[in-house]
Amino acid sequence: MDKALEHQFVALLEKHQNIVHKVCRLYTNNQDAHNDLFQEITIQLWKAYPKFRGEAKFSTWMYRVGLNTAITLYRKSKRTIKTQEFETVSFKIKAEPYDDTQDQQLKLLYQAVYQLNDIEKALVFLYLEEKNYSEISETLGITEVNARVKMNRVKKKLRTVLNP
Amino acid sequence: MDELDLLKKDWQQKARPEEKQLTSKELHPMLFKKSSSIVKTLFYISIAELLLWVLINTIPYFSSKEYRAELAMMYGNEDVLLAITIFSYSIILVFVYLLFRAHQSISVTDTVKNLMKSILKTRKVIKYYVIYNLVMAFLAMCFGLYESIYENPKVSAQFAHFSDKQKFVSTLIMLVVTALFVGVIWLFYRLIYGILLKRLNKNYAELKKLEV
Repeated sequence: MDKALEHQFVALLEKHQNIVHKVCRLYTNNQDAHNDLFQEITIQLWKAYPKFRGEAKFSTWMYRVGLNTAITLYRKSKRTIKTQEFETVSFKIKAEPYDDTQDQQLKLLYQAVYQLNDIEKALVFLYLEEKNYSEISETLGITEVNARVKMNRVKKKLRTVLNP
Repeated sequence: MDELDLLKKDWQQKARPEEKQLTSKELHPMLFKKSSSIVKTLFYISIAELLLWVLINTIPYFSSKEYRAELAMMYGNEDVLLAITIFSYSIILVFVYLLFRAHQSISVTDTVKNLMKSILKTRKVIKYYVIYNLVMAFLAMCFGLYESIYENPKVSAQFAHFSDKQKFVSTLIMLVVTALFVGVIWLFYRLIYGILLKRLNKNYAELKKLEV
């Protein structure tokens, strides 16, 4: 593939790399796995880039490829052993606000989010990224109504963690 | 403030210290690293599957003349053996085409659900290919057993001494052993794909559940 395309892609990826980091943040539980998934998403984005026509925003397109890689294509590396799951929370939430109650609430919320299944995580991710239901349904391939119903259930589930 | 707004606010904050912002110089080499995606694994498995059965089908042609003559005798004549071989290669070609099409339809830019669907479709093609080969292997083994019992002079002479009950029991035992052999291979396949696609199947079921 030509060099110009490579440079164009890398520049876009550099600018929007936070999207990839956020997907990795949600779907992995340690630094090694985070890096592995980041690598795999980058490969998949690059492989699909020649077909990217620019009809959608680059960032929107990244959400789809990122989630598809995390949920379906990525095979957890051997390094991602289950015993490391307890690291999750401390790894994910450093540098949080100093307010104790808020800190505690956030900790609980993140804990709850990490316990959701892959599909629920995808819903929460798109919600946190302020995507509307039409975008959520288009990304996941489910109807808008079903996305809304499921999202409300997940939100309820998360709220109960704080107000049991 | 709503609890979830709190989460949203925290989520949308700038990059976290542990999430190192990579420069283009660091990102560029990542483009050319090897992928370890499930699609790639499935692709290699399907190629291995095709080669394995092509090899098995080719064995009679590369083995000794005597063995081929024996096989030809078993099937009646060389033409039947040739016809069977042509048939099995045609089936393999059909599967190659189906697999190619299935792999082509897998796209990472599809919706989450469609991507899962197309991967599972590819897996189905491999499954049918394996089933076809196992059924053919079972039939060939049964046919081989039948032929050696009734056509091979040494074996048929020995078999002639058996009482009806003994004949029935020994045939049954041979059939069960053959079925077990094929069954074990089938279980082995199920295990491999079961492990490989466990997460995918679970997530697909979860998405399907949303539609009910």
